[in-house]
Amino acid sequence: MQAERVIAIGASTGGLVALKEILSQLPDNIGAAVIIVQHMPSFIARSIVTTLNEISKLPVKLAEDGDILEENTVYLAPGGERHVVVENGRIRLVDGDKVNFCRPSVDVMMESIAREFGPRVVGAILTGMGHDGARGIAAIKERGGVTIAQDKVTSAVFGMPKAAIETGKVDHVMPSYRIASAIMDALGGQRYT
Amino acid sequence: MARVMAVDDDPRIREVLEMLFKMEGIDVTVASGGEEALEILEREGDDIDLLILDIMMPRMDGWDVVRALRDRGWTNRLLITMLTAKGDPGDKAIGLDEYVFDYITKPFDPEELVNRVKDFLEIVDAAK
Repeated sequence: MQAERVIAIGASTGGLVALKEILSQLPDNIGAAVIIVQHMPSFIARSIVTTLNEISKLPVKLAEDGDILEENTVYLAPGGERHVVVENGRIRLVDGDKVNFCRPSVDVMMESIAREFGPRVVGAILTGMGHDGARGIAAIKERGGVTIAQDKVTSAVFGMPKAAIETGKVDHVMPSYRIASAIMDALGGQRYT
Repeated sequence: MARVMAVDDDPRIREVLEMLFKMEGIDVTVASGGEEALEILEREGDDIDLLILDIMMPRMDGWDVVRALRDRGWTNRLLITMLTAKGDPGDKAIGLDEYVFDYITKPFDPEELVNRVKDFLEIVDAAK
């Protein structure tokens, strides 16, 4: 079924551990699509999908241009050459300069999802260097979504989460192992809005 | 199986890492600094998949090494993990976000480090 709600996750340095923690705790009927931008060299993208599929109850696939965003599916941005956005319910891999030194950029992904899905979005910024995702998480909050950042203790690098928190647009700061339940709570609260 | 190169100017750390990895049957090379690491990668780069990089080293620090790898286009085929006593990457890391896959702080838990490295090697192996 085409997704009406989206969970948007941005991660960089140290993100794999946190992603595994979150995906292993999400139920297979979450009722939303999950989109992940994890900065990584593109040559490992496919094997990261394999690794995540081993622990995730939701099927994980590499995001491809033209994919219709389905609920109960996890889309991982391929590393490397193109940004990932959502337009008219479909994934688009688009050319463009690096944003925040990154491509794909979390900001670019989250801003497109905030535009498209408004309040029906839960955004999470996980561990990482730099500040990619801060603008994106603010965009999600400004359109009525729920926003989460990983805390300092469980972050390998408290760069991206810190920058997100400093925008003043983050609802919940929490350890990685609690993020999945916070996502479920947020979706529960949104279900009938 | 994939190979690891550990780069650290502290001989004790190099020794510990070499011993830890060898005990686990992980193929490991060590380098005492950035220059040596780049030389080894130049010579046998195709054989090395995972780089464990100290940050605070004389002459070329860890960030200089990452920048040199990026400029040579080698970040496309290497997984890079920093292993450092430095909690905050600092300004020298600006712009290198997408090249550093993990960041492990010293003192490290040997078992956790080995498990992490094994996970990464599995990922790299599956990518081949």
